[in-house]
Amino acid sequence: MVESIPLTWEEVARVYGRKIYNFAYRLTGNADDAHDLVQEVLLRVRRGLENYQPGSFEGWLWRITRNAFLDEIRKRKRRPTTPLPDEIDRWDAATSDPADVEYARITLGDDIQKALLELPIEFREAVVLCDVVGLSYEEIAQAASVPIGTVRSRIHRGRRMMKELLT
Amino acid sequence: MTHPSELISAYLDGELIGDETSKLLSHLATCGRCSADLEELQSVRTAVRSLPVLELPPGLVPEADAFVVPIHRNRGVWVGAAAAAVALIIAIASIVTPPPVSISVDDLTSRFGARASLDPAFSPAKVVVPVLGELSE
Repeated sequence: MVESIPLTWEEVARVYGRKIYNFAYRLTGNADDAHDLVQEVLLRVRRGLENYQPGSFEGWLWRITRNAFLDEIRKRKRRPTTPLPDEIDRWDAATSDPADVEYARITLGDDIQKALLELPIEFREAVVLCDVVGLSYEEIAQAASVPIGTVRSRIHRGRRMMKELLT
Repeated sequence: MTHPSELISAYLDGELIGDETSKLLSHLATCGRCSADLEELQSVRTAVRSLPVLELPPGLVPEADAFVVPIHRNRGVWVGAAAAAVALIIAIASIVTPPPVSISVDDLTSRFGARASLDPAFSPAKVVVPVLGELSE
């Protein structure tokens, strides 16, 4: 029922847009990719709100966000000329574009971002959802459709890898 | 000695359950390796959490009223008639152009009514629904 929707699409866009953008940017290391991902996610949320069942809104929203990101990776796999986020040095790519140079200028923590991009996607996603977005393990488990124990393991292993990369 | 290292990150996040916390703390009291691990993982966690929050680029999120039907509003009885007409058009559009509209009739009616009562610059009843495709997208 439409009446049971807690937020309108516009409200979701305003409230969660920045969170989704930060998630996308930290996951891809690239402003253009983050921009495209936010647009895609907001479109899916707008369509999905009609069938949204009251429950964990955060879990629902981040599942959509995650699926949009994975779909983009799959699309790029089918277009081998376009490199995957994991397959190139995204930081170098980011700094080659004038728009991204601006981001690089204002963005601190370059080494942290670089290390994040070195992580396998499952670990990176878990760490970003936990430490950048601020989700609980349970919310991350719902978003990624995995047990909480898997979330715990991915976050821990991701941080350990970052520790090695940063030392 | 078994090192419960996987508990350390969950401990930092306040995500341990049951007696895991007491078990880990007992272990940390006697294990220098895990204590050092805890400090290093805490540094990583703090570093990621201190990444600057990026602002959304302008234009990425539409204006709040971007999906309110832009109608030349009217007073009194015309308000209801206009809202009904819009609802009818949307209903037809939702049938012929899936996926359906993500705005409820109640939402439209309340927005329309609220805006109508606040806007003194009404013109006589003239309902214009500019782009159906935009609504039903």
